Formats: sequence, structure tokens, C-alpha cells
Amino acid sequence: MLVENLRIPADELEYTSELFGDDIGLDSIDSIEIIAGIDNLFGVQMTGAARENFQTIETLTKFVEENMGE
Amino acid sequence: MENNRRCVVTGLGLVCALGDNTEKCWSAAINGITGIREVTSVDTTDCYANKGAEVSASSAELSDEDYDRSSLLCIKAAGEALADAGYDAERFDNTRVGVIVGNCVGGAASIDKYYTDEIKNDGGKTSDILKMPAAAIANNVAKHFGLDGVTANIVNACAAGTMSLSYACDLIRSGKADAFVAGGSDSFSSLAFSGFHALHALAADACSPFNQSNGITLGEGAGILIIESYEHAVARGAKIYCEVLGSGVSSDAHHITAPRPDGEGQMSAIKRAVKNSGLEFTDVDYINAHGTGTAKNDEAEFLSLHTLFDGNDHVSVSSTKSMTGHCLGAAGSIEAVLTVKAVCEDIIPPTIGYTDEHLEQLKEKAGAIDFVPNTKREKPVDYAVSNSFAFGGNNASIVFSKNEHDIPDNTNKQRVFITGIGELIGKNDSEGKGLRCDITGDDYKEHGIKMAFYRKLDRFSQLQLISGMRALADAGVTVDDTNANDIGIIIGTADGPMTEIVGFQKNTIQQGTANGSAFSFPNTVYNAAGGYFSIFAGIKGYNVTVANSIQAGVQSICYAVDVLHSGEEAVMVASGTDENTDVTHELYSKLGYGLTLGEGSVSLILETEDNANRRNAEKYAEIVGCAMTHKAVEFGTLTGSEDAMKRAVTDACAEAGITPDDISAVCGFKNGHSTVDSIESTILSQLFTKDIPVISIRDEIGEARAAAATRQAAHAAKLLKEDTDGKYQYILAVAAGVGGSYSAVVLKKA
Repeated sequence: MLVENLRIPADELEYTSELFGDDIGLDSIDSIEIIAGIDNLFGVQMTGAARENFQTIETLTKFVEENMGE
Repeated sequence: MENNRRCVVTGLGLVCALGDNTEKCWSAAINGITGIREVTSVDTTDCYANKGAEVSASSAELSDEDYDRSSLLCIKAAGEALADAGYDAERFDNTRVGVIVGNCVGGAASIDKYYTDEIKNDGGKTSDILKMPAAAIANNVAKHFGLDGVTANIVNACAAGTMSLSYACDLIRSGKADAFVAGGSDSFSSLAFSGFHALHALAADACSPFNQSNGITLGEGAGILIIESYEHAVARGAKIYCEVLGSGVSSDAHHITAPRPDGEGQMSAIKRAVKNSGLEFTDVDYINAHGTGTAKNDEAEFLSLHTLFDGNDHVSVSSTKSMTGHCLGAAGSIEAVLTVKAVCEDIIPPTIGYTDEHLEQLKEKAGAIDFVPNTKREKPVDYAVSNSFAFGGNNASIVFSKNEHDIPDNTNKQRVFITGIGELIGKNDSEGKGLRCDITGDDYKEHGIKMAFYRKLDRFSQLQLISGMRALADAGVTVDDTNANDIGIIIGTADGPMTEIVGFQKNTIQQGTANGSAFSFPNTVYNAAGGYFSIFAGIKGYNVTVANSIQAGVQSICYAVDVLHSGEEAVMVASGTDENTDVTHELYSKLGYGLTLGEGSVSLILETEDNANRRNAEKYAEIVGCAMTHKAVEFGTLTGSEDAMKRAVTDACAEAGITPDDISAVCGFKNGHSTVDSIESTILSQLFTKDIPVISIRDEIGEARAAAATRQAAHAAKLLKEDTDGKYQYILAVAAGVGGSYSAVVLKKA
């Protein structure tokens, strides 16, 4: 999703890359896209989720795993 | 004909949710009657908002051609305006009456229909393909009314309707036309609704500008003004509504969707407009605000208005979007029609939607400015300003006056030179799908463009950004605080960001209106590429994108020279950009033109002589003649438009002070299509009495449309610079566009 929808080059993306840092530089519009994408892919609602959950692929994965099937 | 720079409004045409003519709309507007209702033309299932300001007339009721709804709305309004102006083909030279239309994403309703048929029915209809590009709209209007003057579609999203009026006045003032059918048009679309919904920018209920400011309500419609030179209007005894004074166009260079919070770019446009009108801020009686109703717009506009007008104790401000909805590319022109009426009638339409509680809150925010809440204000309106601010940070402002008012003549007829060229041209064969560019990370790194920036760009914007940055680097132009406002951009395109538009639309069809992509939507407007380029380069001056088929890549050069001559800027980037992806390849294949498509972007740096000399710039060539012409034929065809090509070449030569026989070579537009190739060779052989070399660059790069057209001029400039044995003195670059538009430039050895 990050590569396809947000056009982050795959080779620049690590599980621990700071998504909202200087290099990748996601912003508020991108976070809307992440929320919609995760809802779409995993059925997990991230609207209103705390900021730290969005920091890396790792934290996003953790949030999704913890909230799947609720 | 003598032209003392006075432009007047002699006709009005309006269709929007308030009614199907100017009087009905005006009557509703001053009585605070809203056109906002439940949306009917878009499926709003699962959307948090379902309000819109749609035109009740069906497309068939607007006009009987088989065109996209944006064209039909525009024809309806243009018909009213021309009749109102007493247009009579006998008393006008129709080659001096042009059409300039503002628009946002072209034939959005037809794009929706084509891909809905493709995905859900028995395949997209070829007849819908020519309805897709914004380039069709002005051509369709010109064809309907038989107008053969300069034709252009200004595609700067929500500021387009105001910019088109501004450009029409500039062309009349420089003597290139007697009159224009000028304004904007946009239809309601699932694309816009889904996009603004994804951005959470739609108000859940009717929009509430300068009040609740919790989002926009979309609308549709068209507003057309007949703008005419004063002398021409008087000579034919026309009724004159009011004068159009100065205008201003600027860039925020800040963010692709959000306005600068400090209002710098907005204020720059308003300041330019007021200054170009020879007025002070204290002279202004009424401002028709952009007033969309989003928190970001309203906060920035409040700040801009307070900063500039707090010393004015009689200014009234209203947002008629509270009734018409936000009509995107038509917004500025619809508001211009209402502003002209306000000037003529001394009545100001209100901003509606305030409760008693809101009125109390407004008192604190408004200060001395009268926001005309809920009910009209009757007072003298001698001078009125209309503001429009768009995605990409493009701002425009224009001034109307009840009486004659001398405006300063800032005309700067200095010589203009090409001092930089940046190219990105597809040369790699893509499995029988034409020629494409290879863009790598190194292309961005070369100009310090970080991944955080470039990953947001769609292909169209990528091409434009790289060629624009290459051109600035080639010219050695560094943009900083001292010159950011003196540099502008004109981009020409045939098809704009069609790949991104189609990608967004297909997703909306498959996933539902409620699930549009917030990431992709900002790139679906044609001016996003110019927006990103201005943001990255820090360019804060003029910024317009013109969609007008292949020749838009030469038209952008003519337009940029016009801006330099108007005295607004000292340096202009003139570009031509078009993409070749699987989407464009498929659409063109279905049309069966048999073209080898190419893609790319070519940017030229044009500069006044003073500016070039001051910084010791190296010169490729001088631009000594420009011409834009039109002969209205059906969009998608060229046959029958030969006369316009002749006029383009002879007018450009005349401006250069030469005859066609002084030309040493021609960079032509042959692309392998038999009609196109035969028009070029037939007309050139009629114009030139001797054999001259005709260079065809498309053999190498394919039909890269506007990019190829700009490259014709770039190629000519390079030949002139590299020529050491006096082989070339003047080279002509001429380009054609379907629908009958031509642009030509004559370059001279520097």
C-alpha cells in the first residue's frame, strides 16, 4: 500500500523507516490514505489512533495485529 | 484600430444552480436564495456529505450537440452573453473574437461515463474519448458560434475562471483581439465530489463561508463575460455594463492543496490587481471573496483582507459560494458576473447561513469589514474586486469599475530572449506503445529534489518538474527572495494529467464515491504540475496552465511573451508537457489516428533583454514574432482550418517585421498523420516562394504533443545558437491543434 498508493520507492523503505520524518516525509493527506488503506486491507479502524502508531511499518503492523478481529 | 487599453464588459451569461440565465441567478443571489440541495447526479452512498449546487437542466436541454456537459454549460452561458452583447457576425471580424474558458479537470462527466462503461458495461465508447480533455471546451464553444479568434482553455482549477478574464483583457490591450467570450465552466462530477470527500474538505451540510468554515459545497455551472475593447464597443453602439481594470496572478509556492496561512500569495494577487488598476485599497467598495468555506481558506483570506483593507471604512465582502456552491473552474467567472451586476445595480449579494449566534461571532472576526451576512446591502459600488485562489497555490484577482478609470500602462516592449532550455523527452520504445521517458532517482538528485517531495508527483508533474528545473539550471537562474515575484510559469498541454485522472476515476467507480484517494486527488487538476514546480523552485509570480491540444506547447511561449510584454514579470518559464502511459496509449489507439505517441516535457526560459544582460545570460535566440490563431472546426479534426495556419505564419512574420521569404528554416508539426502532414506541406508551399528546409522532430521523439511543440522551438533556438556559418537567420516554429488552433513563433539569431 505504501509503495503503490503513496509512491514510496520500495528500495527506500525499511520496516523501521521513519514514515513521517524528513526522508519519506508523509503528511496529513498521506495519513488519510494510510487510514483508508488499512481499513480496506485489514478492516482495522485507525481513525483517531495515537500518532505513535503511524511512525513506522513496524508500529503500523503492531497496531493492526492488536486490533484485527475486534 | 486605436486601443487606449480600455476593456469593457458588453455581455453577460450565467447558468448555475441559481438559474439558467443571469437575471434569474442575480435575483436569487441578492435575495439570499440558495441553490444548494441534495446531490442527484453523483452516487453519494456512504459519504458523510450529500449536498451540492447542481444545475437542474439536463445536458440535452443546454445545447443539442453531443459534447461533454462542461462544454454544453459553457455554450448555454456563451449564447446568452453573445445575444446580450448584440453579437452580430456581420459587424465583427470573427478572427478577432476569441474564446478563453477556465476549467478544472476537463470532461469529468465523460471520463466517468467512459470508464463506467469500461468497468461495468460493454466497454468504453470511442465517442466519449474526445470529450475528455479540457482542450475541447473552448474549441467547442468557438465551433458552435463560428468564432475564429485566439482560443484557449485556462486550466488552473479554482482560479481558472478569473485568470481567463485576465488573459482576455491582456490580449485585447495588446491589440490581438477586439473581443472575447471569456469565463469558465465546470460540471458536477463524481471525481470532484469523491476527491474533496477524501480530503475531508466537503461540508456535511451547506457550506458556511466566513462563518462555520467547515468545508465546501460543490456546484456546477458556467459564467461568461463578453469583454471588448472600448473603441470597438463604442463603434458598434454597444451597451456597456462596466470597465474591467487591472488583474493580478500569483503563486503561493507553498503547498499543493492548502493556501499559505500567512496569505502572502493571495495578497500578492490582490495587490497586483489593485496596483494595475491605478487604485488604492481604500477605493474598493466590494470584494467578492474566494470564500470557499474551508477553515484554511477562510482563515488565510480573513487575514489577507484585514491586512490590506483594514484602513478602508466602507468595504463590503461577501461569498456568493454560500448560494452557488463552489463551481471550481467556473467559480471565478460566475462570481465575476455577479460582481459586474453588483457594480451596475449598486447592490451587494449576501453571504448566507448566519444564525443569531453566528452573527455575534462574526462581529469579533469581521472588525471594520462588512461581511454582508444573510441580506443584501444596497450602497454605491464604484470599484469591486473578485478573488479566486486555487489548488497548486495559484491566485488571481480582478477589478471592475463602474466608470472610466485611467490604468497605468506598465507595458514593457523589450526584446525577449531564450536563455535556457530543459528537456526530458521519451526515446525508449515501450513494447509497441510509443516512446517513453526513463525517470530515475538521479534525475531528481541532480536538482536536490528529495524523495519526500517527488514521491507525491504523478507522471505529468514529474515530467514538468524535471524539465523546469533543468531549464532554470541551464539558464543559470537562481530563484530567491529578490526575484521570486518576477518569475512566472506558463505550461501548455494537450491531455494534462490524464493518467492520474483516469486512475482516480477508476478507483472511484470500483470502490465507490466514498473511497476516493486523498493522495491522488490533488494531482488530478491540470495545474498541479505547475503548482509543484512553483513550490519546489520557489517561483511566486504568474502561473497558468493552458490546455489546447498539441500546439499548446508553442502557445505557452506566445503567452509567456505576452506576460513579459505586459510588464508583469522579467523571466518566464514556458513549457510543453504531455505523458505517454498505458492510459494515453490506449485512448489514442482507440481513436485510430495511427500516431506513434511520445512523451516528455520541454521548458524554455524567456527573459527580457534588460534582465538577461544584467546577469550576463547566454542567449540561445531572440523571439521576434508570435501569433496564435484559430479556425473553428470540429474538435478532433484539423481539415478546414488551413486558413488559421496561414494567419499564424503571416502574423508571426509581420510581428517580426519580416516576410516568410526571410525565414531560413521551419520546425514543423508533421507527425505521420496524413491530414496533418498534408496541411503543413500545402500551406508552407503556398506561403514560401522558395524551397526552405522543413525540420520534422517527431520522427525521433514521436508525437509527444505539447512537449514536441515546445521542442520545435527549442530545436530552432539550438540551431540558431550553434550555427556559426550564417546558415540560419530566422527560424519559424509552427504547431497545430485539433479543433483548428495554431501557434507560431519566429526566432532570430541572438
